[in-house]
Amino acid sequence: MSEHDLYDRTPIVRRPPLAWPGQARLAVGIVVCLEYYEMQPPADAYQPVNMPGGSGRGPYPDFRTYSHREYGNRIGIFRVMSALERHGLRATAAVDAWTAGHRPGLIEEIRRRGWEFAGHGQTVTQVISSEMTEEKERDYIRSSLASLEAACGSRIAGWHSPEYGESAQTPALLAELGVDYVLDWPNDEQPYRMRTAGGPLLSVPMAVDLDDVCAHWYRRLSMARWRQSIADALDQLLGEDEAGGRMLVLNLHPWLIGQPYRATYLEEVLADLRKRPGVWCATAGEIAACAASQLDAR
Amino acid sequence: MLQYSYRPNPPPTSRSRRSADQSWLDYSPIVGRPPIRWPNEARVALWICPNILYYEYAPTPDPWVNAWARMTAPDVQVYGRQEYGARVGFWRLLEVLDKHKARCTAVVNSAALRMFPDMCAAAVERRWDFVGHGQYNTRFVYGHSPADELAFYRDMLAEVEDRTGVRMLGTGGPGPQSATENTPDLLAEAGFLYHADWFCDDQPFPLRVRSGKLISVPYSIEINDAPFLGVAFEADQFADAIKRQFDMLYREGAESGRVMCISVHPPLFGQPQRVGYLDKALEYILSFPGVWQATGAEIAQHYMTHHYDAMVAHLAREQAGRP
Repeated sequence: MSEHDLYDRTPIVRRPPLAWPGQARLAVGIVVCLEYYEMQPPADAYQPVNMPGGSGRGPYPDFRTYSHREYGNRIGIFRVMSALERHGLRATAAVDAWTAGHRPGLIEEIRRRGWEFAGHGQTVTQVISSEMTEEKERDYIRSSLASLEAACGSRIAGWHSPEYGESAQTPALLAELGVDYVLDWPNDEQPYRMRTAGGPLLSVPMAVDLDDVCAHWYRRLSMARWRQSIADALDQLLGEDEAGGRMLVLNLHPWLIGQPYRATYLEEVLADLRKRPGVWCATAGEIAACAASQLDAR
Repeated sequence: MLQYSYRPNPPPTSRSRRSADQSWLDYSPIVGRPPIRWPNEARVALWICPNILYYEYAPTPDPWVNAWARMTAPDVQVYGRQEYGARVGFWRLLEVLDKHKARCTAVVNSAALRMFPDMCAAAVERRWDFVGHGQYNTRFVYGHSPADELAFYRDMLAEVEDRTGVRMLGTGGPGPQSATENTPDLLAEAGFLYHADWFCDDQPFPLRVRSGKLISVPYSIEINDAPFLGVAFEADQFADAIKRQFDMLYREGAESGRVMCISVHPPLFGQPQRVGYLDKALEYILSFPGVWQATGAEIAQHYMTHHYDAMVAHLAREQAGRP
């Protein structure tokens, strides 16, 4: 199998437009990943070769990479929360099962702010890939969702795989296990329908080149350049003639964007965002639900 | 954003073409060459190359190149980032290219024209030229026998001609690159006029092939957003590079014509934070007189008609005078 048949390949210019609440020209969502980086993951756990953090993944015990990533859960997340709160924004917290089970204080902070939750696997060091059997992957997703639902007390509608890792079965398994939308496919500026063996699923693509891990860690952009890129993207998206219900979903990782100097740029990005008319700031789930009702009516 | 890596063992080669220098082109410095004159006394022949590529979701693994180096395929992050080009980026880029009436030579995987018929139609409607880049960006020609490699190029030529009506005159290696020792000979045999994998010059030059004629037309690995945006650089710096590249070539082109290539990838430069910088760079370049907006085929044909023989004679004189 070299190709999939998960969705239509219709380009955005051939699709009917989507409408956002209040005639907004652009929907903007923010996803914040809360993830546990295991110092010693299970022997059969899979990770991409360029696993971000520290100096790359070193032999056990790698104190530096573990602690670089763990900074997000101890310090960074609180900086991100306060920056969003100051600007009246709520995010989608993609939380892995380990964090949900072991960090009840974090879950409570998220709930208190009225953020929504999305599934984010078991840990960030156990990445889904086609190396995983279908049976194992089904258990992995089911128990990830169950742990998070138990911790936060509500149904989980969204999913973002750790490190954007999927197998060829993932969309079908997500649909089968009751997930409404997936954030892993960064190929569009609108949500779109996926058809899977497990039922329908909605894809809500994130802007991967603006993702902090991709921009700051992999591409080593300066923070000032990242801030400018987001301003440029907003200028372009809000200025286009046929906005057609586009969106920009920003994916943030507190171990990185929550570093003190980086967080100052996040504050400036959010201040710029809030000054712009025509933007509907929403959670990924709200964007997904708004798009789904329109796509289903077609 | 990790896409490709080479596997540990390289593809087999013969030693038949090995020499102290490579055997496909003669060293010839830019100074002392017979001057190139472009049509209408243009100083710079500009070819703009949007890439129309197709990456397979889960290809059969190639023995020499890992097309999905970050993780075992499918890698939906990198696949999705590429596919964004066909779904969204191309159309935004097209608005800028249309605004400047850019004459384009699309770098194509033949399968991309099949998978993305809307992009193919948009290119055909605008009478773009095409330059080959293999069939899929996840299939390579390393290790191919001469017969298999020739068939590969002929299939690519036929599919592109079938879908666009254009018989391509040039190609680069399939995938990010890939070639064998037979490639230039086989390209000439398949009917190509130019090869776009040589980054050593600002002008076309003859390549030595077994029979027929083949030249290099300079494509760019520098004014090319894919490598440029790899690490640390962004769109504003790319626009600055385009302008300065142009300024230098335009200055030198007063003496002897130069070629400038701008290679852009819709998944990258079609992103909303980037496209405006290309708009400004094109506006700058195209405000100058003496810019020939050409296609790859037009540059190659002009060179063959007016400059090939003089350059071959010049190379012979240079070789005769060399120790």
